[in-house]
Amino acid sequence: MEQQTKPVKRCTRCILPETFPGIHFDEAGTCQFCRRQPGPEKRTERKARLRARFEELVEQIRPRPGYHCLMAWSGGKDSTYTLWLLKKQFGLHVLAFTFDNGFISPTALKNIRVVAENLGVDYILTKPRFDLLRQLFVASIQSDIYPPRALERASGICNTCMALAKGIGLRLALEREIPLLAYGWSPGQAPLSSALFRTNPSMLRTFLRAAMAPLQKATDGKVQPYFPQERHLETAQEMPYNVSPLGFLEYDEASALRRIEGLGWQRPQDTDPNSTNCLLNSFANQVHLEQMGYHPYVMELASLVREGYMSREEALSRLKVAASPEVVAAVRAKLRIPHRWRQQPPGDRQ
Amino acid sequence: MSVQTTSVEATIRRYILESFLFTDDESQLPDDASFLEEGIVDSTGVLELVMFIEETFDISVEDEEILPENFDSVTQLARYVHRKKESDPT
Repeated sequence: MEQQTKPVKRCTRCILPETFPGIHFDEAGTCQFCRRQPGPEKRTERKARLRARFEELVEQIRPRPGYHCLMAWSGGKDSTYTLWLLKKQFGLHVLAFTFDNGFISPTALKNIRVVAENLGVDYILTKPRFDLLRQLFVASIQSDIYPPRALERASGICNTCMALAKGIGLRLALEREIPLLAYGWSPGQAPLSSALFRTNPSMLRTFLRAAMAPLQKATDGKVQPYFPQERHLETAQEMPYNVSPLGFLEYDEASALRRIEGLGWQRPQDTDPNSTNCLLNSFANQVHLEQMGYHPYVMELASLVREGYMSREEALSRLKVAASPEVVAAVRAKLRIPHRWRQQPPGDRQ
Repeated sequence: MSVQTTSVEATIRRYILESFLFTDDESQLPDDASFLEEGIVDSTGVLELVMFIEETFDISVEDEEILPENFDSVTQLARYVHRKKESDPT
């Protein structure tokens, strides 16, 4: 189903709209993000440097006993492909975990079971109590718990899920002394600068305080058990590296899909075109569009266009597909969103 | 304050204003404003800052140097850059 929208001025090179915060176009209609984009040579050099550093790290880790890597696995296409890469290309002993937000597509859950078996990885599913999740999701759409900067790359609901998934992952990695914590962020989701890094305990305390603050406020302090505690930071022998391999390795969506389909992965038919695992995403996107005036995936898609991973036409088409009314209605019912809380029609705000 | 310090501060300030606050209004970024506590920069943004600092000032930032006391305000960051340049003038 195509979403009806009024014309909106967009960057002539990527797809960022005039409604994106702080955007300005030059005479040719190009946005500042495209103008500042390093040339292809610079990007290639950065990626090669990160790949070399990652390969060196893998060589150091691989002889160790126990798990080498904890993979944050949503069951979507990118994290499934990343899981395959880590296990098969890099030969790592991987423990995968999924944060279940209560809205994972049944097909995605089936994909997780089938792929985990076919790939031969150990797997954990973490499902926090749903009344707490509901409280968080409702707060994410009804109050300004996130600063505007946090909403440029993801909706408030996605920010909440990402904070919880990262917190749960970091805690698991610290408890089990796993040296590598991997994510399946696409090249458009995570900047190259954050594709491989390790945070020291001092900075991590600051990051954790900032990440937990909105969630703690929304739940009267009930999210603490999902995040690392001071004892984890004090007793850790070493802090895990964070890696998003798709940021610096070759990435081609069609090839990635062929690879994971070979493992039994099937594309869910009930999710929106920007997600291959989450039913909450359609609703989260719709709310963000209404509240912020731009689509929460527009920055990611613009980055993919800028870096040559996706055509401008394909990116625009992904913004145009409207959410399924049935899926949105089911989400609203499960979250008990009152009928008096209404969204305006999307109009020209994408 | 030396001319060099001012120049480093100005470069950092311009980058933060352009890349994180999307404005050229300098009044929106006091020298000692905490990037993280005031939501100016998030954890991913700190890593973008690291890459910017390395490439702009030609220094290498070690993992253990990514601390709040080095990376949480314009003033702290400028001081850090100067310390690094002084310890490795090449």
